[in-house]
Amino acid sequence: MITLKTSNLPLGELKEAIEKKIQHSYLEKYIQKPVIDEDKLYILSSIVKNTSYSETKKKNYIITVMLVQIALDTHDLVAKHEEKNETDQTKKQRQLTVLAGDYFSGLYYYFLSQLDDIAMIHTLASAIKEINELKMTVYYKEFESIEEFMDALKQIESLLIRRVAEFFERSAVNEFTGNWLLTRKLIKEKHSYLQQEHSPVFDLLTKGPAHNVHYNQIVNTVEQFIQLSFSRVEETVSQLPVHFQSLKTYTNKIIYDYLGNNSQIVEEG
Amino acid sequence: MKLAMTYSYLKQDLDQIEKALDKTIQAKHPVLRDASQQLLQAGGKRLRPVFVLLAAKFGHYDIERMKTIAVSMELIHMASLVHDDVIDESELRRGEPTVKSKWDNRVAMYTGDYIFARSLEYLTSLEKPRAHKQLSETIVELCIGEVEQIRDKYVVNQNVRNYLRRIKRKTALLISSSCRLGAIAAEVPEPYEKALYRYGYHIGMSYQIIDDILDFTATEKELGKPAGSDLLQGNLTLPVFYAMEDPLFRTELKTLFDDPSRLTNRDIRPFIDRIKASGAIERSYDLSEKYLLKAYQSLDELPDIKAKQTLKDIAKYIGKRKS
Repeated sequence: MITLKTSNLPLGELKEAIEKKIQHSYLEKYIQKPVIDEDKLYILSSIVKNTSYSETKKKNYIITVMLVQIALDTHDLVAKHEEKNETDQTKKQRQLTVLAGDYFSGLYYYFLSQLDDIAMIHTLASAIKEINELKMTVYYKEFESIEEFMDALKQIESLLIRRVAEFFERSAVNEFTGNWLLTRKLIKEKHSYLQQEHSPVFDLLTKGPAHNVHYNQIVNTVEQFIQLSFSRVEETVSQLPVHFQSLKTYTNKIIYDYLGNNSQIVEEG
Repeated sequence: MKLAMTYSYLKQDLDQIEKALDKTIQAKHPVLRDASQQLLQAGGKRLRPVFVLLAAKFGHYDIERMKTIAVSMELIHMASLVHDDVIDESELRRGEPTVKSKWDNRVAMYTGDYIFARSLEYLTSLEKPRAHKQLSETIVELCIGEVEQIRDKYVVNQNVRNYLRRIKRKTALLISSSCRLGAIAAEVPEPYEKALYRYGYHIGMSYQIIDDILDFTATEKELGKPAGSDLLQGNLTLPVFYAMEDPLFRTELKTLFDDPSRLTNRDIRPFIDRIKASGAIERSYDLSEKYLLKAYQSLDELPDIKAKQTLKDIAKYIGKRKS
């Protein structure tokens, strides 16, 4: 857990507030606890912190955007098909995963309507619409090259935050956001693949019709993209306006740690 | 008389709504577009848009403004249906393959999320914070209701109050919200708005009770699924609660539900016969009738315009419907 603070909005407190909002005793019993993406939370906090809104309103904005992200991520967990002879437990899990996503999505609308913030409701709804269009493109693997695939992945990862940044007139952070979130996504997927030999992104790359990367090459291929993406991050982070200083520090620390732990790959790459 | 006859004078406006619905879900991705179209073409009675329009007739009726609400309410309903089919593993809806069966669960998830987002995006042209508060509360309640429905499946130890709360969230709230949002957008005087909301709530309750009765009394052809499907899925509805007043029935039903994964239509059949013989169907009709009467009473508070008669006719139709 990162302990850095953004304005008066410590990340730990924000995470706690989000967890409280999505608390539902029955859902918790059957579905996995939603993951709160700390990178997205951090960027979001950095975007909102320099606005002229009250601290309460800033906090509410961050919470609602994260609720949208959690809702979208939850629906990604619904299996493509029911298993044959699936247990009651699996069935119930699937049913509640569908409903949990709907519930979190309903909550974001509810909290924003309590704030009378119709403009923000519009911004988030439009972003969700676009993200689902993009998800369909990725789902049907409609790419000519790996670069195209990576670009779509970058869009899916960052579109929500970028639209929010535009809403707050902080789009200077958008280029960085796309590169950073793609890098972080690839690192997580690589880790998951190495640990559990499973990763949805690696599956798409190895089984994609236009760019089926050979199984033996997949880790190296993704690592090359991570490195490429890192250099784009370093370039874009240096161009961030001064009020994003804490975001710069946060990013540089993670880059330093990652490169330190992966020096061999970097040298080979 | 067919239901659509009762509001045939709204046809031109409803046609406009149909066109707007079609236009609103023109997704860029072909599968997303086809899946949304499939849902739209599966039709339905478009009850929610009708309630929006009729409620608005008591205020400043402006079809452009009403169209926004009516389309959004129908889209929210459609989005919940496409996700419900994933939950219930339904292969058919009104005789057509469901999105999840024609494509798969994931496509159904993305389609539902897309349609829901479109509905809110569309609705934000309505600058009435009170309407958004009302609707968002309804949506959250609707989700909670669905979670509770799953929680309560195959649970014999619950009462009629649980059932009524469940159907309120499942059906009545979206209908009453359609009435209220139509009223808010048309700036209907507040006492009328409240009366319309109550009408919507009572008619929604009555509608769902009758739906639950028909699950036992209608034919497979009329239902598009085998009779008793609700019970097979572990959903305890009003006739079952009445039948469970007989302790022997309750005990045997509990035993039947001990291993839900092995349940078949054949196991359910004797229970359907016993429910029918117990007087539970008649008692359920009585309760549905009571809700209808309350719906009529709510209308008494409204001025005598054509829309009021139509709302009465719809209530009458709902009370008598057979499918």
